[in-house]
Amino acid sequence: MANKVKRGVAVLLVAMSKLIFVFLAFIPLLCTSFSPERPSDRRVLVLLDDFAVKSSHSLFFNSLKSRGFDLHFHLADDPKIALQRYGQYLYDALILFSPTIERFGGSVDAAAILDFVDSGHDLIVAADSNASDLIREIATECGVDFDEDPASMVVDHSGYAVSATEGDHTLIASDDFIKSDVILGSKKIEAPVLFQGIGHSLNPTNSLVLKALSASPSAFSANPKSKLTSPPSLTGSSISLVSVIQARNNARILISGSLSMFSNRFFRSGVQKAGSPTKHEKSGNEQFFTELSKWVFHERGHLKAVHMQHHKVGEANEPAIYRINDDLEFSVEIFEWSGTSWEPYVADDVQVQFYMMSPYVLKTLSTNGKGRYFTSFKVPDVYGVFQFKVEYEKLGYTTLSLSKQIPVRPFRHNEYERFIPAAYPYYGAAFSMMAGFFILTAVHLYSK
Amino acid sequence: MPRPKTTSSSVAFEGNTTHLKSSLRSAFLPSHLPAANAFIGAGMARYLGRLLALLFAASICGAVTIPGPVSDAHRSAASELFDGSFSSLEEAYEALRVFEILAIGNKPDVSATACKKVVENLGSSSPVKDLFYALKVNGILKCKVNADVFKDIAVRLKATVTDASTLVDMYYSIGSLVLIKDQVSDVDVLLADADGTFHSIKALSQSDGRWRYSSDNPESSTYAAGLALEALAGVISLASSEIDLSRVKTVKNDILKLFDSIEKYDDGTFYFDEKFVGGSEHQGSLSTTSSVVRGVIAFASVISGKVNLPGNKVLGLAKFFLGIGIPGDAKDFFNQVESLALLENNRVSIPLVLSLPETVYSLSKRDQLKVRVNTVLGSAAPPLTVKLVQAFRSDAKDSVIIESKELQYDKSNGIHVLEVFPDNVDVGTYVFVFEIVLHDSAGEKVFATGGQIHVPIYVTGIIEVSNAEIAVLDSDLGSVETQKKLDLAGNVVVELSANHLQKLRFSFQLKTPHGHAFKPHQAFFKLKHETKHEHIFVVGNTGKKFEIILDFLGLVEKFYYLSGRYDIELTVGDAVMENSFLRPLGHVDLELPEAPEKAARLPPLPVDPYLRYGPKAEIAHIFRAPEKRPPQNLSLTFLSLTLLPFIGFLVGLLRLGVNLKNFPSSAAPATYAILFHLGIAAVLLLYVLFWLKLDLFTTLKTVGLLGVFLMFVGHRILSHLASASSKLKSA
Repeated sequence: MANKVKRGVAVLLVAMSKLIFVFLAFIPLLCTSFSPERPSDRRVLVLLDDFAVKSSHSLFFNSLKSRGFDLHFHLADDPKIALQRYGQYLYDALILFSPTIERFGGSVDAAAILDFVDSGHDLIVAADSNASDLIREIATECGVDFDEDPASMVVDHSGYAVSATEGDHTLIASDDFIKSDVILGSKKIEAPVLFQGIGHSLNPTNSLVLKALSASPSAFSANPKSKLTSPPSLTGSSISLVSVIQARNNARILISGSLSMFSNRFFRSGVQKAGSPTKHEKSGNEQFFTELSKWVFHERGHLKAVHMQHHKVGEANEPAIYRINDDLEFSVEIFEWSGTSWEPYVADDVQVQFYMMSPYVLKTLSTNGKGRYFTSFKVPDVYGVFQFKVEYEKLGYTTLSLSKQIPVRPFRHNEYERFIPAAYPYYGAAFSMMAGFFILTAVHLYSK
Repeated sequence: MPRPKTTSSSVAFEGNTTHLKSSLRSAFLPSHLPAANAFIGAGMARYLGRLLALLFAASICGAVTIPGPVSDAHRSAASELFDGSFSSLEEAYEALRVFEILAIGNKPDVSATACKKVVENLGSSSPVKDLFYALKVNGILKCKVNADVFKDIAVRLKATVTDASTLVDMYYSIGSLVLIKDQVSDVDVLLADADGTFHSIKALSQSDGRWRYSSDNPESSTYAAGLALEALAGVISLASSEIDLSRVKTVKNDILKLFDSIEKYDDGTFYFDEKFVGGSEHQGSLSTTSSVVRGVIAFASVISGKVNLPGNKVLGLAKFFLGIGIPGDAKDFFNQVESLALLENNRVSIPLVLSLPETVYSLSKRDQLKVRVNTVLGSAAPPLTVKLVQAFRSDAKDSVIIESKELQYDKSNGIHVLEVFPDNVDVGTYVFVFEIVLHDSAGEKVFATGGQIHVPIYVTGIIEVSNAEIAVLDSDLGSVETQKKLDLAGNVVVELSANHLQKLRFSFQLKTPHGHAFKPHQAFFKLKHETKHEHIFVVGNTGKKFEIILDFLGLVEKFYYLSGRYDIELTVGDAVMENSFLRPLGHVDLELPEAPEKAARLPPLPVDPYLRYGPKAEIAHIFRAPEKRPPQNLSLTFLSLTLLPFIGFLVGLLRLGVNLKNFPSSAAPATYAILFHLGIAAVLLLYVLFWLKLDLFTTLKTVGLLGVFLMFVGHRILSHLASASSKLKSA
């Protein structure tokens, strides 16, 4: 009997170890952050207050699904949710459509979400008026401060969306977009974007956060039902309606003050901005968020640099060392991820630095339009250990930071210039003396 | 977080206490549904919050606006959502049913593929659920199915009914039998032991009106109650003999108990929600509610008496379904549309929806107040009159402006119209109370009208702005330094200058179209320094006049002692003001004292992202300039000068008359002499070569060899010469 039990345990152990082995083998496949090697592997966790959001915001989710994202819907207080298991993240991105959640289920809390972002994952947060403290805390950590008054909404008596049933001017039509083709796509968003929710301001000390959609100068953030006795804390175009952040590790975050902005209703609704005669059939929300989500999920603006090369003019191989005043050629290839493939990146502002403590040479690279950037310059006449540095920072693009170390030596003793005309008198003097010496020896010895 | 905007500043003008009071009031005002929720207990709030999110997200307006009936937007969304591709017959049925209810013409033709599947499912011994949906699809498409097939199925289903232990199995098999009964006339589907079946379903019911899924599952569910009621309705219609009336009565009581557990929002929306969490499949409130509606209406349609449900609850259910808007999920869409279709025509109570195409009315455009009364699917209501019971300002309940007025019915458009607003309706927000009065008094039992319906109405108009005046005053005397009148409608701007001992006064008046004083929601006076630091003041009103006095002496600290040009902007706006504006008024040059050392630092301003990035200025290395050299001619001149002594030497030698008479004449010494001089020449040549190309090591080596050779031949020739000269001397 005991034997049987033992054998059973052994079998069980073997089976378990097999299982664990299989699981471990699969862990690398449960990919983590966006990586240039496996850019299309994207799993997204969506946390909702209510499953009804899944249906009422289906257009937004469908646009993500159609672009190949694997969406996992959970209630935000589902005790089974987890972002990581055995130190490996289970998802590449997180969408928080749960503005009222006070505490997430499972092991997820604000710190876990920030760790998730710190490890290079993307995040979309939609708040609303009455956003919970938890959502506010996450936003604050990202450099976004929501209006402290929970009942406040963004009100704009001049830039509201004309509506027959909406009289309190909290439904705003905003067309103050961030001017960046990479964030919002090259196609101009013609129709204003509808917004109804809470406003936020950007922390001025945080230089990574950007206003993707700002309120108009006449807007303010207050409770629309109560009388204003003191100036509202947020006014004018300093109110941000939708903000984006690209962290230093290239993780991207989208924070919106309105959940309804993403809804089918707003996506389909027509829009007419007050004071404007044009009535748009469809609001700009769908285009705005489709393009913005492409950016957030790294389908645009993610750069990679390869083949950083340098060599002397006229040679092909990379030398181990340069001599001062050498002429060299430098080249690097830069590609942008388009969602399906790496496309050549074309710009005219990529620069290279020849750097030792400070840049000695800073030059803008020329491009051939196929991703290759090149230039040539003369090595400065200072010797030491230099670096070729490409530090590329552009609004909306991931930061490229490459460097390659190369020593520079001075002239060797025999590499200096010789037979200088200015030295001719010295040469002449020496040689005439030598000739004189030769004659003198003969004359001295044999003259009588 | 440091906020650049200072809120405390207003204290100077508004007083601390009023500020506090108003913020407290605003915090506890349950003016907005979700707002109220945040202050309920956490668990409760979560529960409600979820549903509120649904309602809030779905309907543009979260407030008390009544959602309109199903419209063309639903139809276009349906044709988008159900595109003709389906994986199961359940989905096919949902699509077909939605098309049928909404009467969509250009539906995708799926009958061929669907019918093929129906025949497949009916033929084989497929599970009851598949049979059920195959029959449902068949009911719509009328596929060609052999009548014998139905007989086989009916026999099988009857066996299942008696054997079934779970509610779901019973629901599907009874439902299938009912469908067969409706579709084929000559098949015997009547249940022999209807009473027993009825009892076995009823046995699963709980005291609170909910049902259990099976006898060994202790958890009760509202969703299951809906299924059970529908199954019971099926049993009654399939019964070969009358079901005991007392049993029907207990079920009626169950329904009433079930409706006691209904959930509610403040605006009169009712819905059912699943209480227990952790069941095998969690049903959302929409599917739960629609299940109950399906069950209750099916049950009410087969029994002889009437189920007495309060009309407001039925109307509340209709409001719930309509409030969802247009779901993006096919299943939700089906649940919504089917439930609405059932509510549209039922024996319990038919809800009538009063909706306003517009709730914002403009006095300047002389809009008419229009009211529409429809059934939930948008078809015409029975003859009725809409009565405007009263209308009052939303901030003052007792200020009734209109009382009991009947709206005119416009037959051509099917709307009820209030031709003109009475003269005492000024701009503002109002609450209009409507009541539906049915012409046929018997209809009140059939229709649910919902009693008095409160609708918030915005009446907007153009506000007249006048008497705008801006002045700089001397502080102590109050005498006017400079005063300028402004036409706020134009574009005139003013240029002022002031120092910290002076005051700035700005005033204007606002009048409604009826000539009353108007207090806008937003009246901001903004000073913006060149450095983009902004200061905002709320313009207070004293009676008719809006006035703000800025005493710069008290503001120097708030202005961070920043002298210079401040741009002035005025923003006036209100929800009911059609001409809300933001207008630059000009600028004021302020002279403020120097900042003391302890003064507060300027808060940081956000960095302009467009300036932060971008290419840097190019850097080119400046190479060390080559050393200055004399011109080549000068070097050549000096070269020739250095050659002069050599030439002088040669000339001197010739002058001295040198000769080579001492050169040895015998062969051996002559050879040594020649070799010695060749050796010297070789050393000198080596020096030249060293200069030209050789390195030190080769040179030294060669010099060594040559030296040995030179020593040898040198010794020989010199000793020869020495002996020759000593001979000469001795001679």
